[in-house]
Amino acid sequence: MQRTTHRSRLLTRPALIALAAAMAVTATSCAKSEDDAAGGKKSTAAADAGQKVVTPKPGSKTCTIDAYGGKKIDLKDATVGFSQSEKEANPFRIAETQSIEDEAAERGVKLLTANAQSQFSKQISDVQDLLAKGADLLVIAPLNSDGWDPVLQAAAAKKVPIVTIDRKINATACKDYVSFIASDFVEQGRRAADHMIEATGGKGEVAILLGSAGNNVTTERTQGFKERVAEKAPGLKVVFEQTGDFTREKGQQVTEQLIQSKPGIKGIYAENDEMGLGAVAALKGAGKKAGDIEIVTVDGTRNAVQGVVDGWISGVIESNPRFGPLAFQTLDTFTQGKEVPQDIVIQDSAYSPDNAERDLGKAY
Amino acid sequence: MAPPAEVLAVRGLSKTFPGVRALDGVDLTLHAGEVHALIGENGAGKSTLIKLLTGVHRPDAGDIVFQGRDVSFATPLEAQKAGISTIYQEVNLIPLLSVARNLFLGREPRNRLGLLDLTRMHREAEETLGAYGVRVDVRRPLRRLGVGAQQMVALARAVASEARIVVMDEPTSSLEPREVETLFSVIRRLRDEGIAVVYVSHRLDELYAVCDTVTVLRDGRRVHHGRLADLDRLTLVSTMLGRELGEVRKEGLTKFTGDHHATGARPVLEATDLTVPHQLHGVSVSIRPGEVVGLGGLLGSGRTETAKALSGALATRSGRVVVAGVPLRPGSTPAAIRAGVSLLPEDRKSEGIVPGLSVRENISLAVLPRLSRFGLVSEARVDRIVDTFVERLRIKASSPHQKVGELSGGNQQKVLLARWLAMNPKVLLLDEPTRGIDVGAKAEVQKLVDELAADGLGVLLISSDLEELIEGSDRVVVLKDGAVVGELTGDEVTEDRLMRSIAGHAPAGDTVREAADG
Amino acid sequence: MAEATLETVPLDRARVLQWLQTYGVYAGVALLVVVNIVITPHFLTAENFRTQAVQVAPVIIVALGMALVIGTEGVDLSVGAVMALAASVTALYLGYGLLPALLVVAVFAAGIGLANGALVAFVGVQPIVATLALMVGGRGLALVLLPQLEDLRNPALASLGSGDVLGVPYLILIAAVLALLVAFVVRRTTFGRQLLAIGDSRPAAQLAGLPVRRVLIVVYVVCALLAAVAGVLATARLQASDPTSLGNLMELSAITAVVVGGTPLTGGRVNIAGTVAGAVLIQLLTATLIKHDLPPSWTQIAQAAVIVCAVYAARGRGKR
Repeated sequence: MQRTTHRSRLLTRPALIALAAAMAVTATSCAKSEDDAAGGKKSTAAADAGQKVVTPKPGSKTCTIDAYGGKKIDLKDATVGFSQSEKEANPFRIAETQSIEDEAAERGVKLLTANAQSQFSKQISDVQDLLAKGADLLVIAPLNSDGWDPVLQAAAAKKVPIVTIDRKINATACKDYVSFIASDFVEQGRRAADHMIEATGGKGEVAILLGSAGNNVTTERTQGFKERVAEKAPGLKVVFEQTGDFTREKGQQVTEQLIQSKPGIKGIYAENDEMGLGAVAALKGAGKKAGDIEIVTVDGTRNAVQGVVDGWISGVIESNPRFGPLAFQTLDTFTQGKEVPQDIVIQDSAYSPDNAERDLGKAY
Repeated sequence: MAPPAEVLAVRGLSKTFPGVRALDGVDLTLHAGEVHALIGENGAGKSTLIKLLTGVHRPDAGDIVFQGRDVSFATPLEAQKAGISTIYQEVNLIPLLSVARNLFLGREPRNRLGLLDLTRMHREAEETLGAYGVRVDVRRPLRRLGVGAQQMVALARAVASEARIVVMDEPTSSLEPREVETLFSVIRRLRDEGIAVVYVSHRLDELYAVCDTVTVLRDGRRVHHGRLADLDRLTLVSTMLGRELGEVRKEGLTKFTGDHHATGARPVLEATDLTVPHQLHGVSVSIRPGEVVGLGGLLGSGRTETAKALSGALATRSGRVVVAGVPLRPGSTPAAIRAGVSLLPEDRKSEGIVPGLSVRENISLAVLPRLSRFGLVSEARVDRIVDTFVERLRIKASSPHQKVGELSGGNQQKVLLARWLAMNPKVLLLDEPTRGIDVGAKAEVQKLVDELAADGLGVLLISSDLEELIEGSDRVVVLKDGAVVGELTGDEVTEDRLMRSIAGHAPAGDTVREAADG
Repeated sequence: MAEATLETVPLDRARVLQWLQTYGVYAGVALLVVVNIVITPHFLTAENFRTQAVQVAPVIIVALGMALVIGTEGVDLSVGAVMALAASVTALYLGYGLLPALLVVAVFAAGIGLANGALVAFVGVQPIVATLALMVGGRGLALVLLPQLEDLRNPALASLGSGDVLGVPYLILIAAVLALLVAFVVRRTTFGRQLLAIGDSRPAAQLAGLPVRRVLIVVYVVCALLAAVAGVLATARLQASDPTSLGNLMELSAITAVVVGGTPLTGGRVNIAGTVAGAVLIQLLTATLIKHDLPPSWTQIAQAAVIVCAVYAARGRGKR
C-alpha cells in the first residue's frame, strides 16, 4: 500500500504543477475580454486629480526634524520605501500605489515598494526589509493600527522618518512617526448627508448600506452621516441599516430585500461605491428607473462617477487615494528642516450631476 | 475453609428494547475467585446482561447486589470505579496514544509537581505488560501493536484498576493460541487473587479449559446454570441451541460434511511465488474447482495477506496469480473480481459491509454495473437478485431496506456472501467467515460453503477455529512468517498434525511436505 | 407503570430527534414562511418570492455539489474560489461570445476539480487539506487573471442573469433542473450508489471492487463544475466580474445548507431535497432579519443556532 501511495504521489505532483502552468498559460495567451474587443483597455492612469490639504486649524500640532531627531537630507538623493497594506485589487489601492510611484518618478526619487497582501506579519517584515535595503524615508499604508513597536524601534534606531497614509498607527506623533495623512471619514459622512438632504428635499425614509462591521471607516462614515441628518433634516428618517460588506454583490442582495419590504424608501446611502453600484443593479433588476431612489456613495471610483453621469447615482463623495504628492511634499518639507503638521487631512472633492461628466477623468 | 464470599447477586433482571424482550427475569450469582462462563447464541441476552451489569443500560426490573450493596450504575465509568471492569470484543482503547498512556489512561502516575511522570509510567507499563507476555516498546502508539497485543493491553488495564469483577466479552476472538494461553494464565491468577471473572465466548475448548461454572441464556432467559464440569460439550451445545441431543450428535459440531472431491484436475486459481515486502515471502497456493483449501497458521503468519494478495487488495512485488488460465493484473481488486475471485474479508465490520446502506444495496453493490444500462440502475433486476439471495441464504432482516449495520453478525456475513455469489465467482476467499457470529448462523455458513464447493466453486478457507479448519478443508496449506511451511492432504488433515506443522517440529517419518514440492 | 415511563421517555426523545433530522428543515422553512406572512409587510408577493429564489439559487447550486462531496465523507472548501475563478475567466473570454467563454470556464473548473480529486483519490491527502490548497490557489489564480472588478455588458450574459421564462427567472429554472438531475443521479444511477458506498465505508467499497478513485475524481469535478455554474450565474446577475469578493465564504454557506438539510458529515448519505430546503431556510432567515433591519450579528447568531439544532438532531440519531 505504501509503495503505491508513494508512487502516485510522485506522479501527481508534476501533474498538478503542469496543470497549474497550463491553466495560467492558456488564460493569458488567448484571452479576449470585452474591452479587448472594443479596442483597448481604458486607461487607469487618469488625469491628475488635484490634491489639496484642508487648511490646518490654527494651533494644531506640528513636527520638525529637530524635535524628531535625525539629520537633514535632500529628498532627491534619498531612497524612499513604500509599504502597501492590501494587494492592489481594488481601485483605491491601485490608485494609491500608482500615485506614490508617479510622484517618486516625477521627483526623481529612488522608490522601494512592498505589498503585505493583507497579512500583518508580512507588512512588519516588509518594512524591516525596506529598512535593511537602505530606505532613508518611509511611507507606510498600515494594515493595522497596533503592533508596530518592533518596526518603530528599528526605524528609530536608524533615525528614519515615517509618514503613514490612510490609516493611523497607534503611537506618538513626532516621536515614533512624523505625520499622518488621511481623509476625514466623519466629514465624508457629513457631506454625504448634505447630498442626501439636498436630493430628497430633507424628508422621507432613507437606508444605509454599511461597510464591513468593526471597521473604523464604517463607523466614522455612519457617524458623520447620522449626525448631519439629525442636525439639519429631522424629517429624514434612517429606517434601515444593513451591512453590504463593501462588496457589490452584498450591496445588490441587501438592496433587493430593502426595496421589497420598504417600497417607500426615498434614498440609499452606500458607504462605498461598490455597494452603491450593487444597489443600482438591484434597482435595475426590480424594474426601477434612474432617479426613483436617490443613491449617495463614498469613494469616487470611475464606475460610480459614471453612474452619476447616467443618472442612477445622485452624488459621490470622494475619498482621495492619491497620497503621492502630499506625502512627498511632507517629506520634502520635513527633511529640509521646516515644520510639518502631525495630522494632515486631505481635501476630498465630490461628484454631483453638475460636475460628474466634466470631472469623470479625475475619478479613479 | 469458609465458602468464598458472594461478590455479585443478580435477581430477576429484565430489560426490554423497542420490540424485543432482551432479558427476562435473569438471576446470576458470582463468588470471589470464580470463573463463570456466560454463553448463549447471539441475541440470547449475554450482551444485554453485561451492559446492565456495567452501567451501559439501566434495567427495567430486578436488583443488582454488588459486594452486599444494592447498586445502580449510571455509567460504565461508575461501574468501573466500583470495581466491575469490562473488556469488549472490539478493543476500546485510543489507537494514537502510546501503549503506556493507554494502560494508565485516567490514572497516570504524577511526579511531585503534578506533572506526568513518564519514566515511571513507562517502567511500570513494561513490568505490567511483561506479566501478560507482551514485550513491546510501550512508547509506541497502540495501533502499531497487533490486535492480540492490544487486547492484552486492554486486559492489563482492566485488571490493574483494582477490579473485583472482570467481564470478558469474547476476549480471544483476535488472539493467537500462544496469547490465549497467556490469557488463561492471567485468568487463573485473577482467580487465585479472589477476583470473579465472567467469561463470554463461543469457543467451547476455552470454556472447558478455564471456567468453573456456567450460565446458559436462551431468548433472554436463563436455561441452565451450574458447574461446567457437570455438563458435557454436546449437552452444552444442545442446551444453548435448544435442540435435541441426538440431532446435534448426528450433525457433529460443525456443519461440514467432509471431503468435497475436487471436480477438476486443473486448478482454477494458481498463485506462484507471491511476495510482499515484510509480509509474504514467495507464497504459492493452488485451488481446484470444488476444493476447499484451508490456510493454517498463527495470527500474523500471512494468511490474511495471502488472501488479500490473491484478491488484488494487496499489491505484490513479485509472483503471479493465474485464474482459469489468465494472469491477473496485480494490485487491482476490480480485475480480480472480474476474473471471478471474491474475498470475504476478515474485518467484516470495517472492510466488508457498508453499514449505512441497506441489505438490498449491500447485496447489489458489486454486481450493480451488470444490472445497469448507461449507468442507470434497473431496480427490477436488483430486486430479483436480492430476493433470490435473501431467500437462499435465509438472511433475516425486517426488510431488504433495513440497514446492514443493524443486522446480527451472522446475517451481515450472509449479506456479504450474497454480494459475491451474485457475481457468480469462480473462487471464494473466506477469511474467518464465522468469527463472532452465533452458533446457528455459523452452521448455516459452514453448510453453505460445503454446498458451494459441491457446485464446483474453489474455496480458500482461513479460520482460527481449528475444528472448523480441519473439518471444512480438503487440504490445508500451512503458513508461518509469510511462507508456506507445509501442506496436509487427505488423512493428514487432523488437528494434531496441523498443530505440529504450525509448531514446526514435525516428527520423523511424518508426511508433511515441504513447500517446495507443492 | 414505572416501567412504562422508563421505556417511553427516551424512546420519544429519540423519535423526536429522528423526526427533526428528517423533517426539521422543512418544518423550519414552513415556520419562517408563516411567521413572515404575519409579521413582514409585503412578504406575500410574487416579487418577494422571486427575489428570495433568485438570491438563493447560486447557493443551492453550490450546495448540490457540496452534498455529493460530503456524501463521500469529504468536503470541498474550494467552491468559493472556483466561483471567483469562473467570474474572472468569464470576463477574460467574453470577447469570444458567451458560449465559448462558458466552455473555457468549464475547462478551468474541471481542472480545479481534477486537482482536488487527484489529491484526495491518488495522493491520499485529506479532503479538507487538499481543497484548502485549491481554495487559496484558485482564488489566487482568479486574481492573477483579473486583478479587479470589471463591468460586463454582454447582452446574452445579462439576460442569463435577469431574464425569465413565463415569469420564472433562468436562475431559478437552472437551479431547479440541476437539483432534480443531481437527485436522480444519487437515487437511480450506479454512480450514485457507488458514491454512497464509498462515503459510508471506503475500505469496504474498495474490497467490493468499486472504482473508488474514479468516483472520487468525478465527484470533485462535478462539484467544481456546479460551483462554476453558480459563479457564472452570480456574475451574470451582478453584470460584473468581481473575483475579489465573489464566492467569499460560499463554502461555509454550502456546508451549512447541506448539514442543516440532514446530510451527515460522516458520509454515506445524501439528502438533496433537504439540502435545497437547508439553503432556503438560511436564505429566509437572513431575509427576515434584514427586512426587519435587525443588526447583522443577529443573522450570524441565528444561523449558528440553526446549525447547532441540525447537528444536535444528527447526533441524537447517530447514537441510536
